[in-house]
Amino acid sequence: MIYDLRRADARVKWLVTCLLATFGIAYLFGAWMVGLYAGFTPQAVAATYAGPAMAMPMPPESTVIVQHPVTLAELGREERHTVDRDLLVQDTHVHVPMYGVIAAALAVVVLGLPLPRWAGYALIGLLFAAPWLDFAGMWLTKLVSPAFAVVTVAGGWAMGAGYTIVAALACWQMWGPEKGAAA
Amino acid sequence: MIPIIAWLAAAFVVRPAHITPTVILVKRPEAVKTLLPGAATFVAREVHLSERDAHRLHEAVDWSPDDGVLAFYTGLDGDRPVGTIMFVRVDTPHGPVEVAVAFAPTGEVSGVLVTKATVETKPWVAEAVRAGLTAAYRGLRPGAPVNGAATLRDKVGSLAAYMAEQVDKGVARALAAYGAFYNPEKA
Repeated sequence: MIYDLRRADARVKWLVTCLLATFGIAYLFGAWMVGLYAGFTPQAVAATYAGPAMAMPMPPESTVIVQHPVTLAELGREERHTVDRDLLVQDTHVHVPMYGVIAAALAVVVLGLPLPRWAGYALIGLLFAAPWLDFAGMWLTKLVSPAFAVVTVAGGWAMGAGYTIVAALACWQMWGPEKGAAA
Repeated sequence: MIPIIAWLAAAFVVRPAHITPTVILVKRPEAVKTLLPGAATFVAREVHLSERDAHRLHEAVDWSPDDGVLAFYTGLDGDRPVGTIMFVRVDTPHGPVEVAVAFAPTGEVSGVLVTKATVETKPWVAEAVRAGLTAAYRGLRPGAPVNGAATLRDKVGSLAAYMAEQVDKGVARALAAYGAFYNPEKA
């Protein structure tokens, strides 16, 4: 262990707690945003990221006009949020570095936990693999097949799991009852 | 400790994927009601562009519809056309903006609404609209220059002026599409 959160100065514990709380709030609002704009199922993620490009037919030989009646309700149904390739380029550029910083911050917390070396490697790997999966899923969904939406969903769950494990272990180690304290 | 556990459990179920949030400024049905008042029924005219026509449109306004289809919605009062509306998306580095452009039966722009923006661009769009951006498009006909942003010079900040230029693009695309493809037999 490089440092020990259990024996760290109270100010360090307070810093880590505030950091985890801040990330937790950000994740909760992230979940809210996902619910509003993408969805939590592979089908909803595929509809957001695959977009019409996946189903784009070949252009007709000559321009074809189709007319049909439409209702106001049907017009409103078209308002699903989709992410096209250009927007995904932008999202990847903006969010991947931030994901890396968050994973690194959580990994620093992991270094202070009394875990076996293999568990430390696994947890740090999970923290970084989650955003890779998240964005790999989005790109594969867009470029290869909507079936890859499940990779994005898995990445999101992995991110939630990584954060929860680190936060729970750190809070327990920092603020839980000390072993042998009663002796 | 229980609140902490509950909070952590809630955090576990989150799935923080990344999207640039679009904000609906005016819902499409509301935009249709506003821009085509009196219309009781609607007809969608979907123009599936050939490669040649899509290229022609792209050459004219540097844009092709996502799925190669231009969608025009015409409002009718009985058999009488009230007007035609189309929704055009403009992708900006700050996320997409959607513009609803309505045409009178006589072919000129009768009204424009910005229907979607993003969390980031919404206040800039709102500033441009408050300064009278959308009024600048009324009366334009296909082929006319679109300079709504220029009318706001010195009235708004640089970011609102930038978004006005994006709205200009949307209106220019709608004008080009309407002029060339709404009544192709007349084009």
